[in-house]
Amino acid sequence: MAHYCNKCKKYWNHEVKTCIFCGGETSKLEESVYRVLSSTKVHIPSKGNENVPYFVYLLEDKNGQKIIRKSDHHYKIGDEVNFDVATVSRYAVGVIGSGLMGTQIAEYLVQIGYPVVLKTRTQGSIGGITSKIQKKLSKKLQEQEVEKCLESLIITTDYSDLNSVDIIIEASKEDLEVKKEVFSELSKFCKSTTIFATNSSSLSVDALAGVTDRPERFIGLHFFNPIHRMDLIEVVIGTKTSDATKEFAINLTHDLKKQPIIVKNSPGFIVNRLLLPQINEAIRLLGDGIATKEDIDSAVKLGLNHPMGPFELADFIGLDTCLSILEVLHTGFGDDHFEPAPLLREMVDQGKWGYKSGEGFYTY
Amino acid sequence: MYITGTGRTKFGSVSKSLIELAYEAMLGAVNDSPLEITDIDAILVSNFLGGPLNGQLHLNSQIASLLPGMNIPIIRIETACASSSVALNQASYCLGKCKNVMIIGVEKMTGNNLIPSTEAIAMAGDCDLDKNNGLIFPAAYALLAACYMNKYGMGHETLEKISYINHKNANLNPLAHFYHKDVSYEMIRKSPMVSDPLNLFDCSPISDGAGAIIVSNQKYSDRDISLLSTQIATDSISLAERKDITSFSATKVAARKAYGEAGIGPKNISVLEVHDCFTISELIALEDLGICEPGQGPSLIENGDITLKGRIPVNTDGGLKADGHPIGATGLAQICEIVTQLRQEAGKRQIDDPEFGLAQNIGGIGGTCGITILEG
Repeated sequence: MAHYCNKCKKYWNHEVKTCIFCGGETSKLEESVYRVLSSTKVHIPSKGNENVPYFVYLLEDKNGQKIIRKSDHHYKIGDEVNFDVATVSRYAVGVIGSGLMGTQIAEYLVQIGYPVVLKTRTQGSIGGITSKIQKKLSKKLQEQEVEKCLESLIITTDYSDLNSVDIIIEASKEDLEVKKEVFSELSKFCKSTTIFATNSSSLSVDALAGVTDRPERFIGLHFFNPIHRMDLIEVVIGTKTSDATKEFAINLTHDLKKQPIIVKNSPGFIVNRLLLPQINEAIRLLGDGIATKEDIDSAVKLGLNHPMGPFELADFIGLDTCLSILEVLHTGFGDDHFEPAPLLREMVDQGKWGYKSGEGFYTY
Repeated sequence: MYITGTGRTKFGSVSKSLIELAYEAMLGAVNDSPLEITDIDAILVSNFLGGPLNGQLHLNSQIASLLPGMNIPIIRIETACASSSVALNQASYCLGKCKNVMIIGVEKMTGNNLIPSTEAIAMAGDCDLDKNNGLIFPAAYALLAACYMNKYGMGHETLEKISYINHKNANLNPLAHFYHKDVSYEMIRKSPMVSDPLNLFDCSPISDGAGAIIVSNQKYSDRDISLLSTQIATDSISLAERKDITSFSATKVAARKAYGEAGIGPKNISVLEVHDCFTISELIALEDLGICEPGQGPSLIENGDITLKGRIPVNTDGGLKADGHPIGATGLAQICEIVTQLRQEAGKRQIDDPEFGLAQNIGGIGGTCGITILEG
């Protein structure tokens, strides 16, 4: 948006209300259609621009005002494009669950510009969720931008408020029965074209798709915590997932500035199938008295170049979550290699769930 | 006004600290001049990224640490890549009160930095309009290059030639970043793409280095060089705020004033140092400085006019491309080179009987420009 002095014919790209040359009031100029004056394809990554290549355009509107915009789309010099992000209509997303992942997904989506309906279980929690999201957004955005984000967020306890969303991202409790219940309810309320995606980290996409009226429109979208820093999304393809659903999901991940990887439905997908056996083995090492947890963490960080050791990471994920994923892997593959270490069960029984409960392998 | 002493370090990845580099350049300038360090009345320090890269600000006081007991006025100047020509410009005003002023330009860009250098350099652009839209510096100059190519129908080969000529000149300059690097057209052509249409050999390197000069209000020796004019001009910071994309107003304005003050024109210039942070910038400079008409830069390059034996030798030290670009020192390296040429002390790269030399030093993508004209 430019500010323009009618008398002096000068433009500013900043919030200038009074012309410093003549003292006159300026008027706002807002255009959304631009012509491409110049373009470049950038091949080297930098902070905030980690995914390369990307395009940067120098654009000019009909008033001769120019802007610079980054894009993943390719345009030629002379092309006319609508580059005003605010006017690009994005589809509505329903997010189920207001736990750690549900709120983060909702927050991330509204920040990018998606209208979001967040479904929680109890009316009483709505105020708390709103202020939590507001607080987090305030750290990154200016007051007006936060307000704009919150305007596009609806928090509800009612499934019927999700009737017109284009895609559901379900992030309820990591429990097959709970999730089945959620999806059979959603099938009753959502329009027939709504795509259902589950953020499950290990449960069977096919088992969940089976309870819905639209298995071909069912897919897994597994986000990683913390969402604003973790660039990966596991896109999990069920036996009945259609190509159109897959394409829709991949396009969404790109629009979210995330890197999708495609995996067929299988217990633990890729990341957890590789990670949990390692955490489990680390707990066994500790249980057998072979090494201290600090040394095992150091070994993994310095010897394998992981940013966190297995105990730090397990505490961060939540030991209850680790246990449930291991149980899914154990049952799913019928392989005793995945059997949860006895020490892990003990700790979960004692309520030592890691960072979220204040104590896990370490104390917080 | 006269330039009575110059000094500079080798440019490149140098195992010396910011302050050690500054000291070496200062010592060089004092040894080169008839003056003692105690004859210096004030110092201007040019540096761009001491804060974000080295975690070191308050550089004027750090320089004072190198001159125990002198307690003279020292000021740091920062105008991105144009810092040192602006410091020289400010020194000229100091000569009203002082007899001898030293200008030091220094930058330490390699080694353990607080943040990646690409991110730090991007601070020379507008944070909102440029940086937050993915516009790193090579991309800004790439937008300019793409625009120029589209407007005048120029191919990348012309830019390759600019890169090649600069590298050949650097092979004759023992202090240059790429003194030892033997570069061929094939290497230039096949180098990796950085930001289309600019590839690696269109970009100046990340260098460490320092330069220092002494300016005085009187002539002390026959080696002293007359400072005919130093002018600076500014412009809006982002390309998005410019009318003309393929030309820098700041260069044109500062050059017009400098030619006027020196009483000469572009035709009188016998040696030229221009700010080729990217090859396209060298081409734009030739046009903005009036060496040729807009759109005629490519034919000047193709005709061989800018080589050491050409009509108007440009960047005889290798330019930013191959001599190196230690940002705060770059503009002073240009002055050092013109002084060396005008003194006829440039050895293998000496050009024939130069009379007037001009240096053009740019900050950001044309947001600041310093023009200096010297007479031998």
